[in-house]
Order: sequence, then C-alpha cells, then structure tokens
Amino acid sequence: MQDGRLSTRHLLGIKYITTQDIELIFSAAKQFKEVINRPIKKVPSLRDVTIANLFFENSTRTKLSFELAEKRLSADVVNFSSSSSSVKKGETLLDTVNNILSMKVDMIVMRHPAPGAHYFLSQHIDAQIINAGDGTHEHPTQALLDAYSMQEKVGNLRGKKICIFGDILHSRVALSNIFCLQKLGAKVRVCGPATLIPKHIDKLGVEVSYNLEESLRWCDVANVLRIQLERQDIKYIPSLREYSMYYGITKERLDKLDKEIVIMHPGPMNRGVEISSDVADSDHSIILQQVENGVAIRMAVLFLLAKDRNDLAA
Amino acid sequence: MLILIKNANIIAPQSKYHNSKKDILIEDGIIKKIASKISSPKAKSINSKNLHVSIGWLDIGAVSGEPGYEHRETLESLSSTAAAGGYTGLAIFPNTDPIIDNKSSIRFVLNETEDHLVDYYPIASISKDCAGKELTEMMDLKKHGAIAYSDGTANITSNGLLLRALQYAKGDESVIMHNPNDPSTSNGNNIHEGIISTQLGLKGSPSLSEVLTLERDILLSKYAQSKLLVHNISAKESVEKIASQIDKNITASVSYLNLCLTDDALQSFDSNYKVSPPLRSEDDRQALTKGVNNGKVQIITSNHIPLEEEAKKKEIVYAEPGTIGLQTSFAGLITHNNKISLNRMVNCMAINPRKLLSLDIPQIAEGEKAELTIFDPQASWTFNEDTNQSKSRNSPFWNKTLSGKVIGVVNGDNHYFNTY
Repeated sequence: MQDGRLSTRHLLGIKYITTQDIELIFSAAKQFKEVINRPIKKVPSLRDVTIANLFFENSTRTKLSFELAEKRLSADVVNFSSSSSSVKKGETLLDTVNNILSMKVDMIVMRHPAPGAHYFLSQHIDAQIINAGDGTHEHPTQALLDAYSMQEKVGNLRGKKICIFGDILHSRVALSNIFCLQKLGAKVRVCGPATLIPKHIDKLGVEVSYNLEESLRWCDVANVLRIQLERQDIKYIPSLREYSMYYGITKERLDKLDKEIVIMHPGPMNRGVEISSDVADSDHSIILQQVENGVAIRMAVLFLLAKDRNDLAA
Repeated sequence: MLILIKNANIIAPQSKYHNSKKDILIEDGIIKKIASKISSPKAKSINSKNLHVSIGWLDIGAVSGEPGYEHRETLESLSSTAAAGGYTGLAIFPNTDPIIDNKSSIRFVLNETEDHLVDYYPIASISKDCAGKELTEMMDLKKHGAIAYSDGTANITSNGLLLRALQYAKGDESVIMHNPNDPSTSNGNNIHEGIISTQLGLKGSPSLSEVLTLERDILLSKYAQSKLLVHNISAKESVEKIASQIDKNITASVSYLNLCLTDDALQSFDSNYKVSPPLRSEDDRQALTKGVNNGKVQIITSNHIPLEEEAKKKEIVYAEPGTIGLQTSFAGLITHNNKISLNRMVNCMAINPRKLLSLDIPQIAEGEKAELTIFDPQASWTFNEDTNQSKSRNSPFWNKTLSGKVIGVVNGDNHYFNTY
C-alpha cells in the first residue's frame, strides 16, 4: 500500500474515482482494521496534518467516525458545526472555509446540504476536500464502507445482486452506492414507492422495482435506507404507518424467502418503519460491522489522500 | 456625420439588396446611397473582412437592473450592452423594483432612455407587483407607452388571472407574454430533469412542468382569441406542441442559450449555467433548432438577466438563475449552433419580434432612416473584463473566445462601434 496512489486529490464522490482507487482504499482499510483492533489503536501517519471537520448539517456517526479515524492517524483535528440556515443567511460557504483555511488547515472533511458544494469548493480553494455527504448527491465514504462490508460478508461483488430499498430520491447514500457497486461489477436494483425513486435512475444502469417481496427474492444483499423525513419538503408518502406495512423489511418477509440475504442499513435506523427490530438485530444484519468498517475506510481515505499531499510537497 | 460601410453582405429578406454585396453611405442618420462602390473620403469608414449588415436587432424580455438593482445594471449600461451586442431595440421585462406596473414606472424608463441609441419598448406587468393576484391598469399602461404585458420572470399560476389578462388585452390587440413553467413541479428550476440531474443528485425540472403550463396557456389564448407569446420554451415536447398549432395568435420564442448549450454543462456545478428555463438535453436543443429553422419558433431572445457575483458565486441550489446575454447572443449562436443561418437569425432577432409587437420594420433602402446592425460572423473576440459592457458578469461565456462579432450599430443619428 505504500506504493499505491489515488488518482485524485480530493474525495468528492465515487463518480470521480476509479475502480483501482476503490481497490486501493479497500486494501489500506484492511490493514487499518487490523490496527484498530490492536490494544494500541493509534499510528503516527498523519502527525503533521491538520484536518477541519466542517459539518453544515447534523451528523452523529459520520462525524464521530471521521474524528476517530483522524485521531487514530494522529492528525490534529478541529471541528465546526453550523446549521445550514444560519450559513444561508449570513457568511458564504467560501468565506467560512477561507477563514478556517487561514488558520493553516490541510484537509477538510465536510458535510453540506447542497449537492455539489464540495465540487464548488474544490474549484476555489487549495486544501484537500473529503465529502462527508452533500445533500442528495454523494456520500462516498459510506458507499466505500458499505461495499467493503459486503465484500467481507459475500466475497467478490462481481455479479452479486444488491438491492437498495427505500427513499432513493432523498438519499446521497443510494447514488454513491450505485456508482461504487457498479464499479465493482455488482448488479444493482432500487426498490421503493415510485414517489421516492428518481424518474431517470434507470438511465444509470440500475433496475427499478416497486415490489418489495419480489426484490427481496431477487437480491443477495439488501441495503435498507432510512426514510429521510427531514429532507422531504413535501409529503412523498401518505404515512409512515403505510410505508412500514408495504415497504418495511420484517422478519416475517425474510422468513418467506428460500435463502438467506444480508441486511445492511447506513443508519440512523427508524426501527419499525423501514426495518423491524428483529431484523436489525438478527444474524443476517451486518449493521454494526458497517460502523466498525467505517472507521477503517475513513482512515484509509485520509491516509491515501495525505500521502498524495506529502508526495507533492516532497 | 457621414458613415461609409464598405463591402457589406446585406441580409435583408424584404429588401431588393438582399444577399448582395454593397457599400452603404449614411448621412445624418439617413441611408443616402447603396452602390457597388462608393467613395467618400470624409466619411467614417467601417471595414471588416467578412462584413454583414442587417436591420437593427430587437430583443424581447431583457431585464434591467434599474430601478432598484442598479448594481446589476443601469438603463445606461443596458443600452451599452445591447448596442455592443447588435441591438437597436429592447422590449424590456417589468421585473425591477418597483415593478413596472404603473404609468410612472413606464414614463421613468422612457424618459431615462429618451436620448439613448437603443429604442426602449417597456413591457408592463400583467399583475400588480407581479404577484399574480390582481390585474394592472393595462389600458392606462398602454396609453403611457407599454408595448405589451408580461409578469416576466414571474410565473402566473392562476388560470383565471391569465385568462382575464388575455381577454382584457384583446381590446387593444396587445400581446400577453408568459414563460410556461409550473413552479409546483419544476423543483426550483436548478437543472433539467434527466440523467445529468440524477447523477448530480439535484432535483430536476422536468420538461413536463413547461408543457403543462404551455398547454394551458395555449388553451386560454384560444378561448380568449387573444395574442400570446409563449416566451422562451426549452423542451422538445413544447416545440412539438407549438408545431401542431395553426393559430395566428400564438407565437413562440426561445432563449439563444438553449440553442447553444445543454444540461451537460452543469456537470461542473457552475451556477453560470443555471438559467430559467433550464438548459435541457441535446435532444431538446436539436428540437428547438429545428423549430427555429422551420419557422414554428419565430423569435430568439437574449434572456438577459444581470446578477451580482454574490447571487451567483455560491452552491448551485442557492444561486439565482439567469445569465447576461445581450452581448453574447449572436456570438453564442455562431460559435455553438451552426445549423441556424444568418438569414434565419435576422428573421428571429430583428423582423419577427417587430412583427409581434406591431412595430414598423426598418428598411435598407436609399432615403430610409438607417437602423442597422453591422457584424462579422467569422471574426472572433473574447468576452472578458475589457469587452464586457454590462455591470454584471454572470455569463457562461466569461473569458471565452467566441466566433461572430458585432462590429456596431447605427440608429438614425446615433451610432456605436465596438473597439474590440
């Protein structure tokens, strides 16, 4: 992994990286996973690197996961949180970030509600940028940790059938998952009520289904997405009650299948809505492994990007 | 004042000099002589390798910053921009602050621009404050100089209001102009709904939201038997719908930018490509081009909307839609659309807009008032800080070199020649 280099300076989205990049990140993550399971979980790789975590939208696990990854690589870390509304009213994104960069920050990990905010920023600033979610566009580290977790469970993803269930329209995870899984050779399907599926998503080369039972029978892995009520400015489904009845993944539905499928969820879960507790906590579920792998994947991404920076400096 | 235009290819479908190469001598704003070779040592001589002349172009729907947004554009800078872009006439939209919805506002525009090279034809709003609720005093506005009625960049969602406007305008045979767009389905008009919007995770504006409104507008116009300009269509389906109409009351226009670029340009999340109507797919662009060429879409507009940097240099969903276009419409078309002939452009940018507004069409003939645009389709220039005449710079062509240069304009005693 010392010889490997990413093809990009930033991680703006899975769309902008290659299959080789993904494989390189996975191979680094494997080594970092071993590191974080040691009694002493810290390595000095990013000792001279200062990272700012800028969260313009709420986050618990992604923020924590990035911060842990950064600290385990011995980076200096500063955090900034702000609700999008206050930023919209006052300082521009560019001004906020330039202010922070003046304090000699090397890398930025950012979550922002506007699709393309990271791309926009990359056109105007010098620091390296990692996308921790931009609106309904991409969430690349989530897709990487999802694919990595799937590979751990079912092996090489080439030809494997992965179905993403739920609110595709408001999900950045779905889009990044689609791009990532396709690059790794998997067959991808999306399933949910038609109001929550972007009209032209089939043009990305994914199958579209509105039938939950049939899609469960089709897939090897079910990635269940959260209903993003906070991102729905208008009502796309009549009620959560109806959604859970017709699109909720329940033990009863899984028991009807003649095979075992892997259940994933990027969190946070709405238990009893898109996924029932007995499924979330079952042996089929790898939800907690996803979280563990998240730290390793983020360490790998940070390490590889910082390495690129050091090479350039040298 | 004597001006001698040398070796001009005359593009004037209604003139006997159409498609001929002549020298044109202008004295004190009047075309004095048109001949194969004219010598006039005292005259200011206008030369260019591939020089063309047509009657002056007229734009419908440009937005002025003044009054209210003078930092974006003043009437003076708007005139300079228009003249540099080849326009001698502007029918401007009412979207200023205050809105042009009363006779004082109309008189303000006319008084302020009285001595400008560019002739102004203010379009008054249909509804008070462009709020889509109550009709303006349309007859009074007309009496004081309004050429037509439109809420401009604001959409009219009330069927009843638009119907009453069409019926009321019928009294004086005025035109109602409306940009078809249904805000409840267009998702903020950030980008065309298609594969690009899906890849970028942006909620798109489907062609449906334009066609829904366009069909309604046509139905209302037919019911009222009143003149309608379906302003700035952008979708293939709209062209098809317009093409199926045989109704002399209905005219359609298209923004030049939609004939030049597609939603592919938004891959870079650059808000200078965020416009309303949105740039759509290559299929749409081709259908619009075809519509222009077969005469179903009769008018090409600049869709000139000046905006300050603060409104544009931000995340794309927060940026305001619009670009400046008056100075780059001709060059944009020459550079990015080789399917539209000069003849067709002159029809769509000079003749048809005047026909719609019942304005006299200037003639290129000896003894006539000189109202001319002089251009060279093969010359190139760069749109940048040095050449830009607008107070704004929100353009997808900023710092780009374009083919097709406007040399200048003459409008009676006034003339303007670009120095770049």
